[in-house]
Amino acid sequence: MIVRRRAAVAAVFALSLLAGCDRLPGKPKESQRPLSPAQVKSFDVLYTQNCAGCHGAAGNFGAATELANPAYQALVDDATLSRIIRQGVPATAMPSFAQSAGGYLTDAQIAILIDGMRARWKSGPPLKDAPPYAAAPGDPAQGAQVFARSCASCHGPDGKGGARAPGSIVDRSYLMLVSDQALRTLVIAGRRDLGHPDWRQYPPGQPLTAQQVADVVAWLAAKRPRFAPGTWQSVSTK
Amino acid sequence: MSPSQIIHKVGAWLDHRLGLSGPLIEAAQHPVPRSSASWWYVFGSATFAVMVLQFLTGLCLATVYAPSADRAWQSLIYLNYDQPLGWFIRALHGWGSNFMVGLVCIHMAQVFLFGAHKYPRELTWLAGVVLLLATLGMAFTGQVLRFDQDAYWGLGIGAAIAGRTPFIGGRIVKMILGGPIIAGETLSRFFTLHVFVIPGLLISFVGLHLFLVLRLGINEWPMPGRIVRRETYLAEYHRMVSTDGEPFFPYAAQKDLVFIGLIIAALIVTAAVMGPIGPNGEPDPAIIQTVPRPDFFFLWLFSAFALLPPWTETFLMLTGPVVAIGLLFAIPFISGTGEKSYRRRPFSVMILVLVFMTIGILIYLGTYSPWSPHMEAWSGAPTPVEYVKGRTPLELQGAILIQAKQCRNCHSLGGQGGMRGPALDETATRLTPDQIVRQIVQGGGNMPAYGKNLSPAEVNAIVAFLATMHPAHQPPAHNAARPALARVDQR
Ligand code: HEC
Ligand code: HEC
Ligand code: HEC
Repeated sequence: MIVRRRAAVAAVFALSLLAGCDRLPGKPKESQRPLSPAQVKSFDVLYTQNCAGCHGAAGNFGAATELANPAYQALVDDATLSRIIRQGVPATAMPSFAQSAGGYLTDAQIAILIDGMRARWKSGPPLKDAPPYAAAPGDPAQGAQVFARSCASCHGPDGKGGARAPGSIVDRSYLMLVSDQALRTLVIAGRRDLGHPDWRQYPPGQPLTAQQVADVVAWLAAKRPRFAPGTWQSVSTK
Repeated sequence: MSPSQIIHKVGAWLDHRLGLSGPLIEAAQHPVPRSSASWWYVFGSATFAVMVLQFLTGLCLATVYAPSADRAWQSLIYLNYDQPLGWFIRALHGWGSNFMVGLVCIHMAQVFLFGAHKYPRELTWLAGVVLLLATLGMAFTGQVLRFDQDAYWGLGIGAAIAGRTPFIGGRIVKMILGGPIIAGETLSRFFTLHVFVIPGLLISFVGLHLFLVLRLGINEWPMPGRIVRRETYLAEYHRMVSTDGEPFFPYAAQKDLVFIGLIIAALIVTAAVMGPIGPNGEPDPAIIQTVPRPDFFFLWLFSAFALLPPWTETFLMLTGPVVAIGLLFAIPFISGTGEKSYRRRPFSVMILVLVFMTIGILIYLGTYSPWSPHMEAWSGAPTPVEYVKGRTPLELQGAILIQAKQCRNCHSLGGQGGMRGPALDETATRLTPDQIVRQIVQGGGNMPAYGKNLSPAEVNAIVAFLATMHPAHQPPAHNAARPALARVDQR
């Protein structure tokens, strides 16, 4: 009898333990289940892990292009965004992210990134009269005049720096690290976060034409050294 | 017939043929010195109990675990989240391993303190050292079977040690890993070691160990002044046991059983509260966002190597383990007779304290020191905004490159980033631009040389950015011989 009763007590105890197991603190929570990287579907996670380092936590105040700039979002189309994120920008620090290009993001994840950027950072109607995102190179000689009229007030007469814009934009090392498109993107869309004007504001009321944009970018690009120097010392910007 | 009668009959039938009950009862009732029935003597049996539990839980896990590179991690995730109570078995097994390593160490320390390794129990000690190594081997191979980022890390250390052997290093690494890198072959090797080879070793040496304990008798409580002499010890011991002995069961076994119960209860509670260990990130070499960290019993090794001057590393990595293991084996031959009591063996006590303190401090350093492989924040953390504002175009490119080249896996900015190298926030107060160039191009002091992987323009950009890394009130370092910030000053 006593043995039976003890067995029954033990069984009840064991059962209640088992039933309680679901609430034990050590049981891994479903929310902790690790996702394999390809399963991440959240824009915030994808953006923070892959882009925030260079483009800033909220798409601005990063060292690279301000993606949260509405003027930029209005300028660029989905196909271009997709191409750049997939393949990166060759010869710059912008990496390629598509798995087909050696990156870690699936096509679906790249689409999530684009949709997320659009939803968060694109606002207002499309820009009217904006120069196109891309265009054939312009004329550097014309560009020098555009620079003197529109840019020199901040960047100094020769682009080596002025009171309102620190540092040289004709530094040879700098120019070797950025693409022409990055220069063009900056001139058209500006950088709201760091106080760079956009194409309508050089000076305000006198928007740059598409031709002027192409010319000033060509002027800058022409200052880029043609050949990569052999050692670091020789890229002196004197 | 009642159940107990049936059991009795079956038992009698078996015993008639096996004839084991006599020796078993004799073993259980062998007399032990009354003084040895102490709470100090319970650690060996507790280790044994945890080992048996490890075998049981390990058996359960082995039924689900898939030792292949592409499915191992998945099968652990399945156990954690989908298999009812799978997480608990994993937790028991994982924490059991920690308990077992801990208990083995305590058991060994106690044996050493009480002089139980002395004549005639030298062989028992030797078998014990093999058991220690086998236990560590189980812990290590088990950690590899988790096959997550930590496993990579643990293996990385092991392979790094082995790989430095002169001449044959590469071949040894290949033998351990099944190839030059950690892959599926590695996993099947470690699975074989973990479930066949080392458990076999464990079982046979536990057998030998226990046989010796029975044959030679449990060590008596060490009395200061009672000297062990080869000529007289055995006779003295037998006299002691026959005049002042008690049967092992139940007299001494009681405390063992109580302690085993307590340990297992503690293990169950730990497992229930702390949950299973890992697996953390999938071991995909492509994933950079990880917190790789070896389990604690190897963490101290890692921090030792991180703290040593680099030129001693190879030498110590190769000779260190050999010497340490050699010393453990040599102990009963170095001090095989003489005083047993720790009160009369100050030198031994000092060594023991020293060893435990060193390992403890190294574990602490490994956990908290800036040398440890913290990789919590990888390069994905944004550059702090104040380092972006007011910077020149070239400096901004430098900030981008520090992200792109993943310098922050080792260096922090604004408190985020790895801690293997110094934080870069105030680098310019310590180094002139020339010195920064040299550090980056030539590396040194555990930093890789980036000379071949950075173009001159890239180096210029990074240096320009780092040259701004000084607090506003503190001027940057400069080289008196050369106007240091000449380049940066052309803004
Ligand atoms: C290692 C730094 C880095 C990371 C990480 C990075 N970028 Fe970039 N990105 C850059 C740089 C530098 C450029 C400018 C390249 C050039 O010179 O054209 C750029 C350019 C771009 C552009 C094109 C801007 C233009 O001119 O039209 C887009 C779009 C972009 N990045 C999106 C992303 C997204 C989305 C991610 C995350 C998936 C990301 N980037 C991650 C550095 C980075
Ligand atoms: C109102 C002042 C102002 C004017 C006008 C101006 N800039 Fe800038 N520019 C800045 C400031 C401030 C920065 C630094 C912040 C930044 O990088 O956006 C800068 C940075 C730049 C950069 C470097 C961007 C980078 O990669 O970090 C380029 C290139 C540039 N400007 C080109 C131009 C050109 C071309 C024009 C004329 C079409 C122009 N700027 C007109 C203020 C100005
Ligand atoms: C594998 C880890 C690691 C990586 C990656 C790494 N470093 Fe280092 N770095 C170190 C260590 C360790 C030191 C300390 C060297 C010493 O003590 O001599 C150091 C020192 C430095 C210093 C001197 C800091 C000071 O204040 O004394 C600079 C500057 C530096 N690194 C820049 C970089 C840059 C730029 C990169 C990326 C291109 C980089 N490091 C990548 C580990 C690393």
